[in-house]
Amino acid sequence: MAKILIPTPLRQYVDNKDSVEVEGSTVGESLTALTTKFPDLRRHLYNDEGKLRSFVNIYIGDEDIRYLNKDATPVKDGDTISIVPSIAGGQRDSQ
Amino acid sequence: MITIENDPWQEMVRHAESTFPKECCGVMVGAEQLVRRAVALPNVYDGPQEDFFVMDPKDLQRVDEEARKGGEQVLGVYHSHPNCDAYFSKRDLEHSCPWFSYLVLSVRSGKFDHANSYRCDYDQTQADKEELVVAAHRG
Repeated sequence: MAKILIPTPLRQYVDNKDSVEVEGSTVGESLTALTTKFPDLRRHLYNDEGKLRSFVNIYIGDEDIRYLNKDATPVKDGDTISIVPSIAGGQRDSQ
Repeated sequence: MITIENDPWQEMVRHAESTFPKECCGVMVGAEQLVRRAVALPNVYDGPQEDFFVMDPKDLQRVDEEARKGGEQVLGVYHSHPNCDAYFSKRDLEHSCPWFSYLVLSVRSGKFDHANSYRCDYDQTQADKEELVVAAHRG
């Protein structure tokens, strides 16, 4: 059982909880369990092709899963998974 | 609509002016679309910061955790546009997150000029200006 921390703007889609405990042996399975339990949350994390939206970062502990095994990153009992938005920008309109 | 109390508003203006000519960034914290605190964060972009900013996700995670412990939430993010209007640029849109309000502060020659707030869509293709209210100073 892992705990997924829900960022404040998304808590309204998970019965106003700040975290949800889910079963899953990988990060992908854990997130699927989360969005199965709270289907209204799904469109906020995934695009129409079922891929994580580009502004969504997933951490397990302090590690970004993009630098681990992405969705296949293993999850152990007691792990904490965080959903953290990616924020950047600026006035430059071209590279 | 987003409403910002006077103190965090002044803090964001000072932050934007003090980092000029580089872009600053930070987070707006409060509840029910009322911003009570501004949290300045470092711009961690490793290129020229005069026209781009990147927030460290770990900084954002930390602020979110602190906010939730205090019964508050992250309502939005802010950044500055040095010597440029407070519009929502193509790069802003490409890197936007629809969960938050985006306050953009225009700073010209080191002095605050004007600001606008935006909400963007999930496809990162459109941003709409939202009403921005700066609450009068209390007391």
